[in-house]
Amino acid sequence: MKYFEDVKVGDVTRFGRYEVTREEIVEYARQFDPQPFHLDEEAARASMYGGLIASGWHTAAMLMRMVCDNMIPLSATMGAMGFDDLKWLRPVRPGDVLSAESEIREKVEGKRPDRAMVKVESRVLNQRGEVVMSLVSLVIYLRRPALGS
Amino acid sequence: MVGEHATLGSHSISEAEILAFARTYDPQPFHTDPEAARRSLFGGLIASGWHTCALMMRLSVEANRREDAAATGSPGVDSCRWLKPVRPGDTLTARGEVLETWPSRSKPIGFVRRRMEMLNQHGEVVMVAVGITMFRRRPVAAGAGA
Repeated sequence: MKYFEDVKVGDVTRFGRYEVTREEIVEYARQFDPQPFHLDEEAARASMYGGLIASGWHTAAMLMRMVCDNMIPLSATMGAMGFDDLKWLRPVRPGDVLSAESEIREKVEGKRPDRAMVKVESRVLNQRGEVVMSLVSLVIYLRRPALGS
Repeated sequence: MVGEHATLGSHSISEAEILAFARTYDPQPFHTDPEAARRSLFGGLIASGWHTCALMMRLSVEANRREDAAATGSPGVDSCRWLKPVRPGDTLTARGEVLETWPSRSKPIGFVRRRMEMLNQHGEVVMVAVGITMFRRRPVAAGAGA
């Protein structure tokens, strides 16, 4: 289990695999982002995106799922305060296969003795290795409990 | 217009919605298991922060549709903070303020930077985000001499 003390600035971890289906793109969009270019192939073709694309928030949610499956079981974390610099760089389309990489950017010691913040830059890549999304998450890590406590 | 404030709409979030979203996209026990959540630091089930973002998006899309706003996606979000837990039964209201607008140099679109807040039924800000939305430019009317 990685605690705050175990995290090293510059460490990079590659993880996850997420197959993006048309059905899931449309289902997410129907619930949360019902814009024509996320819902309807015909309308999407006529849009500036030239075809159906996933909601950017859906891509963020798929990243979170990859983080939950691969990173959180190994990390003493308790959620995040939020994120900075989220960029949707390229469209995510049906049939894309996404993966992720996370890089430790900064460790921020606060006042609390039991936890501290780590800035983690995560990038979502498609099957061609293109970065489709990036962001810097503000993750709360627990501090390693003192021996004997 | 810069300085323009708008309330975009409200949504009451159910336990079933919180569980369904979290089981698909954010399966951590404090989002997926009411019993485990009670024993956690959060003292009860809370919604995924990404679920709150998703609801903000939906309220924003619905408001754009009502106002016939030609929004056409986003290049990104400068910052987002999850300030307070969102719990089953909470009613969330989205509020937006226009901070800045500028035209694209290469495409017939413009950019609008907005500060968005999600408030709960007690008037507490549970999430604040600053993000950019792209809008199509108004077509110049035929005969306008353009």
